[in-house]
Amino acid sequence: MSVFGATLHWFSDPTHWSGPDGVPVRVEEHALMSLAATATAVALALPLGLLIGHWGKGALLTVNVSNLGRAIPSFAILVIALQLVGIGAKPAFLALVALAIPPILTNAVTGISQVSPELTDAGRGLGMSEIRILTRVEIPNATPLIMAGVRNAGVQVVATATLAALVAWGGLGRYIVDGLYQRDDAQVFAGAVLVAIMAGAAEFALAALQWMVTPRGLRPKNSITLLRMGRGQSTISAQEGIGN
Amino acid sequence: MNFNRRWLWSPMAVVLGIALAACGSSPPKAGKGNITVAGFAFPESSIMAYVYGEALGGAGYTVSYKLNLGTRAVVEPALESRQIDLYPGYTASDLEYQDKNAGLAGGDAATNNAKLNTFLTPKGLEALTPSSALDTNAFAVKKAIAKQYNLKTLSDLARVSNKLVFGAPPDCPTNALCAPGLSRVYGIEFKSTQLLDLDGPATYAALDSGTVQVGEVFSSDATISSHGLVVLTDNKHLEAADDLVPIGRTSVLRGVATTVLNNVSSKLTTSALIAMNAKVAINHADPSQVASAWLKSHDIKT
Amino acid sequence: MGHLTAQPWVQWDWLGRHWVDVLQATLQHLELTGVAVGVGLSLSLPLGVLAHRHPPLRGLVLGIAGALYTVPSLALFALLIPFTGLSIVTAEVGLVSYTLLILIRNIVVGLDGVPAEVLDAARGMGYRPRARLIRVELPLAIPAIISGLRVATVTTVGLVTITALLGLGGLGQLILQGLVEDFRTPLLVGTLGSVALAVLADLGLAEILHSLAPWSRA
Repeated sequence: MSVFGATLHWFSDPTHWSGPDGVPVRVEEHALMSLAATATAVALALPLGLLIGHWGKGALLTVNVSNLGRAIPSFAILVIALQLVGIGAKPAFLALVALAIPPILTNAVTGISQVSPELTDAGRGLGMSEIRILTRVEIPNATPLIMAGVRNAGVQVVATATLAALVAWGGLGRYIVDGLYQRDDAQVFAGAVLVAIMAGAAEFALAALQWMVTPRGLRPKNSITLLRMGRGQSTISAQEGIGN
Repeated sequence: MNFNRRWLWSPMAVVLGIALAACGSSPPKAGKGNITVAGFAFPESSIMAYVYGEALGGAGYTVSYKLNLGTRAVVEPALESRQIDLYPGYTASDLEYQDKNAGLAGGDAATNNAKLNTFLTPKGLEALTPSSALDTNAFAVKKAIAKQYNLKTLSDLARVSNKLVFGAPPDCPTNALCAPGLSRVYGIEFKSTQLLDLDGPATYAALDSGTVQVGEVFSSDATISSHGLVVLTDNKHLEAADDLVPIGRTSVLRGVATTVLNNVSSKLTTSALIAMNAKVAINHADPSQVASAWLKSHDIKT
Repeated sequence: MGHLTAQPWVQWDWLGRHWVDVLQATLQHLELTGVAVGVGLSLSLPLGVLAHRHPPLRGLVLGIAGALYTVPSLALFALLIPFTGLSIVTAEVGLVSYTLLILIRNIVVGLDGVPAEVLDAARGMGYRPRARLIRVELPLAIPAIISGLRVATVTTVGLVTITALLGLGGLGQLILQGLVEDFRTPLLVGTLGSVALAVLADLGLAEILHSLAPWSRA
């Protein structure tokens, strides 16, 4: 039986859909962890990034340190987290938050910094306070880049959460790790398919969020452009390398 | 930032230079050929891989290592497909792996080994002479839990197992000497099972935090009691004679390699194994150093 | 804190005994990364040019590369093992797959960004399509291509650590040892070494960009 056939067989087996190791439990575990980690990273990194981008001081340093964080291998972050807080959900959460912060932080700082000075000057000329400039001028204009950072972070968290099975956590990575160590290829494939679907769903949900959050005037004309928009923007952020 | 970054070239060149020098610093021995030794993902396996590997190195082979590879399910196929040449196996566990959990392993290592070879020979593989060093699966609970449920043997455990969570290695569900065996011989069915690691930090952390109440450890692990755990007696002898034995490709092991490895096996004892494990687990000594110290103390050239 | 053995984060004498192993692990890490990015670039250049010239194919090419990118690395390696075993081929097929999306995307964006006037001028000067590509379009796309190379290289340096599960791993071997033996020193050395490699590679590529395209923003 080919791997594809074996995987279909795996999915059609009712025992794989019940119990603590069943698909619904693992999907829920994985989704909740990804959501919690991404939301926490946004709560930590976004305000910081917006403020630093606005004030300008330390923006370059922040971007460089953030990109340095990006260079730490996810595997290493997980094992270090294990050493710091023990096994299970705790190191997984810690590591995933640490992983999600750099893309959000970098894009927030860069997005705000790149808002055209004419716009902010106009705002000041109109007598707007700094906070209003941030919220009414800079953030709306920086939304595409900021949301690109959140999207990158979200999808990356879903994918990297699979590695957390190596430090005795659960989630969809359990199927991949257990399948690897039991030489059960159908299980590995099933796990990979489920994660890929979840990553796609995360991308889609975050694209929808981006649509809702982007001011009407800046919204692209159709949804295909919106999906492409996120990807294109991340090319720009890629240029903010460590050496800049 | 616009400053000139040519200052980068020098350190990068130095790093590359040192790396290339390190590559050349261990010249290949003109001699018996190459052997790749593999190990499972627990320290004893790394130690044993170095014991075999360094002895072979002393006999003129050029040895390389692939350590911490995972479970037997990953390592044995790699041996069959010739990606590795040798690994430190265990007579009963390897037999049950080969006979697909048919239950052929018994209490005598030599018999197990002979049966093992009937499966290995058609594959071009061979289990050499086993040592007397024993390392079986063992099932442990925290002292408080043993007291709470009055547990001394695995038969005692069968009474209450459906209330307890089990922490086991990743290949436990398909390993005759783990979950299937516990069920078959003792009627043990746990409330649930968490797949952790091979008697490693995750297993101990899970036992300690109470995430699992019963854990699988390895009998030659020197740290069991220092973790506050007690091993339940295997009163019905589920665990068979699991002695250490070099398992490898016949064509590679031919000749001097077999002599060297059999010599090593003849000198290895369970207490020596436990002592080596203790040095690595407790003192964070190097598996390779611990291995060469043992070899030297038995006059085996490294 | 966890229930793991108390120990200092670095045992310096371990480092003293093992510096050769660390350097050999670094060399393996460099090799694995270099091959992956090199092969990735050689595949991405023709695919990127193709996607740039034939917009209908863009969705297909980027879609396949994107789909590969969403497969978790661990799963990709695990699925390759029955076919190519615990070998460098398994590692490289996986590692190359992850470079494709970012490299192809950046090559397309870079080629798209060549101003129309420049293309017209080249046409007017008699350049034929292939010469135009090699002499005009690709050189102007260099900043975008190198930007993609930087991200691909840093990502690959991180992913190489996972190939430790295949018996390779470069500095990832040390991280795996730290996990299995509950031992912090190799964990830290492996981590810092990987970060240092990623940073040096990124800075090195930025420097190359500066020499090849001094007019670019970076």
